[in-house]
Amino acid sequence: MFLDWGSITTFYGQLLKGAGLTLVITGLAFAIAIAVGLLVCAGRISRVAPVRWASTVYVEVMRNTPVLLQIFIIFYGLPSLGLRFSAVTAGVLGLGLNVGAYLAEIFRAGVIAVPKGHREAATALALSKVQTLIWVVIPVSLRAVFPALSNMFLATLLGSSLLSVIAVPELTGETNEISSRTFLTIEVYSFSTLIYLALTLSCSIGLALLARWLFPRASRS
Amino acid sequence: MDFTPVWNARWLLLDSFLTTLLLSTIAVVVGTLVGAIVAVLRTLNVGILNVVLRAYVELFRGTPLLMQLFFVYFGLPMLGVNVDKFWAAFSAISLYTGAYVAEVFRAGVEAVPRGQVEASTALGLTFVQRLTYVIAPQALRVALPPLVGVYVSVIKDTSLATVIGYNELMRRAMELVLQYGRPLEIFLVVGILYFIICFPISKFSEWLERRLARNGA
Repeated sequence: MFLDWGSITTFYGQLLKGAGLTLVITGLAFAIAIAVGLLVCAGRISRVAPVRWASTVYVEVMRNTPVLLQIFIIFYGLPSLGLRFSAVTAGVLGLGLNVGAYLAEIFRAGVIAVPKGHREAATALALSKVQTLIWVVIPVSLRAVFPALSNMFLATLLGSSLLSVIAVPELTGETNEISSRTFLTIEVYSFSTLIYLALTLSCSIGLALLARWLFPRASRS
Repeated sequence: MDFTPVWNARWLLLDSFLTTLLLSTIAVVVGTLVGAIVAVLRTLNVGILNVVLRAYVELFRGTPLLMQLFFVYFGLPMLGVNVDKFWAAFSAISLYTGAYVAEVFRAGVEAVPRGQVEASTALGLTFVQRLTYVIAPQALRVALPPLVGVYVSVIKDTSLATVIGYNELMRRAMELVLQYGRPLEIFLVVGILYFIICFPISKFSEWLERRLARNGA
């Protein structure tokens, strides 16, 4: 057993580039997820029954099948219907659509968390529907669901490693590539594990600070 | 759409479906045991042990399962430990599950009011008695719905074992795609197979949550 920790210094640049791509993928996928989540959440509480059913089916299907399979369907399956995506696009889309289903449920819980009295008060104060949404519903529910959203962000970060399976050179992909080329398996996987830990740790600290800034009173209570 | 290749491969798919179920079941059982042991040991509040257990939980929850699978399957042989595909998949997924289960149980334990633990200590209950009669019944009630939720994730996550070549449902699907083409049809059918096992368990978790919330307080 001869571990050669010195040699991996050669690959710092490649691994950091991979980590950068991991962050970009996470950000893009989470942005898609928020858009999808809001849309599907609106569908889930819609008064139009077919819209409600379709949104429910979406949430259940996405949450009860593996995300890897969803990425495969987009990357390998859709081209037979004439829809072709690059590996990065397919991966970001698959991850975003999957996380979106979870976010829809989180948003829904947030909307339910707004006390009925708040809404009635807003109506009594002659706030319009849009004003009520912006000034009453969103601030109150965002605060309620922020911890759950933070967790989903971290899950997206970890989930982005799946894109390595369709040959996207993010952190896991670069790690595999270096490992199979140099056989510095233990060294390079250990190092990438540390990078992932650093990423998840700094993201969770960042999100906690963001929560503190967004909801000043919440942190004091 | 042409589903004949899928239909012709139905027994192969069924066989791999059972493999997925088997791997999931074993990982769920072992992961729950690991998680329960970690959670119980953490209630002991022994300094150095707590640090080790926390490091375990943070390490496995803070890195992707995919990395853990690669580490076990490609890394351990470099240290002279030979692992076959099943053992690599099983041990990585179980340890990963254990970390999540440990956190679910810890949340359950923390939901038990401090005063009850103190009261039972004052009554002279031993650690084991305290655990079995005071903490566990209440902690389990809180932990059960999210625990079942973790199990659904485990079933879906076994699909990652395909990257180390373990022949579960996802791997079989990819092989069939390579052999016959028809990726859309094959992956759709495989998706249905995952769905029919995950969906009822998800619903069960939601039902538990509603029921326990109603009877609680």
